[in-house]
Amino acid sequence: MNDDIRKLVEAHEADVHRPPAHVVEQWHSAIDEAAALERGRRQQPRWHPGSFFWGAAVTGALAIGIGIGFVLSGDNGIPAQEPVIAYVEPGVGATPAAFTRGLAVHLRDSRQQITSLDDSTDATMLLLQIIEQNRRFEMAAKRNDAPKLARVLRAFEPILLQLAANDIAPEDAEALRAQLAFELNVMLTKLASQPSDESHTT
Amino acid sequence: MNTRLLLILLLLPIVAFAQESNDSDNLKIAALEALMSAPPEKAMPLVDKVLAGNHSTEVKERALFVLSQIDSSEAQATLLRFAREDTSELQLEAIRMIGIGGDKDALASLGDVYRSGDADVRDAVLEAYLIADDATAIYEIAVNADNEEDFSNAVDMLGAMGAGNELRELRGQAGVSESLIDAYAISGDASTLRELAMDGSDPELQTKAIEALGIVGGDQVDSTLVEIYRDANSDEVREAALTGMLISGHDSGVLELYQSASDPAEKRQLLEYLVMMDSDAIYDVIDQALAGDQ
Repeated sequence: MNDDIRKLVEAHEADVHRPPAHVVEQWHSAIDEAAALERGRRQQPRWHPGSFFWGAAVTGALAIGIGIGFVLSGDNGIPAQEPVIAYVEPGVGATPAAFTRGLAVHLRDSRQQITSLDDSTDATMLLLQIIEQNRRFEMAAKRNDAPKLARVLRAFEPILLQLAANDIAPEDAEALRAQLAFELNVMLTKLASQPSDESHTT
Repeated sequence: MNTRLLLILLLLPIVAFAQESNDSDNLKIAALEALMSAPPEKAMPLVDKVLAGNHSTEVKERALFVLSQIDSSEAQATLLRFAREDTSELQLEAIRMIGIGGDKDALASLGDVYRSGDADVRDAVLEAYLIADDATAIYEIAVNADNEEDFSNAVDMLGAMGAGNELRELRGQAGVSESLIDAYAISGDASTLRELAMDGSDPELQTKAIEALGIVGGDQVDSTLVEIYRDANSDEVREAALTGMLISGHDSGVLELYQSASDPAEKRQLLEYLVMMDSDAIYDVIDQALAGDQ
């Protein structure tokens, strides 16, 4: 069996009582194992905040981890948080203006949440929720014929995934948060300075 | 004067300088943010000035992001220049920004940057193609890869993008490999995995494909896994099918197999899987097993 899958299955085996902490632990493990795997693959790693290769390994682990984690945890493992996107169903009757407003809310909320992140367990959960919402807005951007916005949102994800990793050094996390906050700010400024149907001008 | 006090006095100017430098950077970064509300023809020269000036890497990285948001050929040319000529972190950042910018010519030029770059540069180029949603460019990299690592990295990326067509095409070009099976799983390509899971010509890849089916999951996959288990002609295939069901969470399938099994060793193994899966039916099954009903 593939080592990644075996480790995830082992984490699964331990999760007999479905406590939220175990689910969180699974996610941490999946992310950290993928990160360790990637580090091992490189002889002399040079950390780069935007490197998605690191993130690609995480993506794989996360896809499995999220799948298993959600199945196991049901509603118990996830802190309640009303998703902003719930009112902006991508592509289904959403006008560009509504999409732009929804996106601005998403960017603003993400910025606020990211700048106030700490090292607690909930930070990982929160980041995974931001990633999920980010993906919805990315899809919505594509459906609203806003490929440039879609690309920017897609570019946020590797950074968010790296922030969700458990073993990231505090100074690296700080650098990533600063980078993301800046990029979110720039996008907010850009959205605010353009007309509501700007998404069609990409 | 004691040593500690002397050290503090010596360090004070350095700390003050660092603080000053930090404040200065923050101001520059705030100014760059504000540039987004300026028209491109006014923003562009200012960003160029920052990139050419003696500023910190952080400030220049932020300037590159601003550049990615300016729709002009000059902006793309500057990004490409950094992607080609710079050898610092700015090169990687510029490559990422070309992905964000999505300019077709600039993206095409990244092919050369990939070929001449080190591992970090190659990773950054793949990431840029992912950001630009350019599966074709990554497919080309995979097809032309001259080593397993580069191929595997490109395939991983295609999997993350859910690029089913390109991945299926690669099977014909490069043959089946573990990395390709992983990518089929991540991209959710159940039909290709099902095909591979039924093909016993390479037992190792077959068991990997069976397990990978579990990652995709879904009703059809669950039925396939039960079918594979029932028709298995080796313990390895049977165990892979069970692992697949474990991963997909198909406990009702395992329960069904448990109830129809007659061999005690097989029943014990299935029971172990039901325990691992935390099946709702486990207590009834345990009760029955202890009572000797089954």
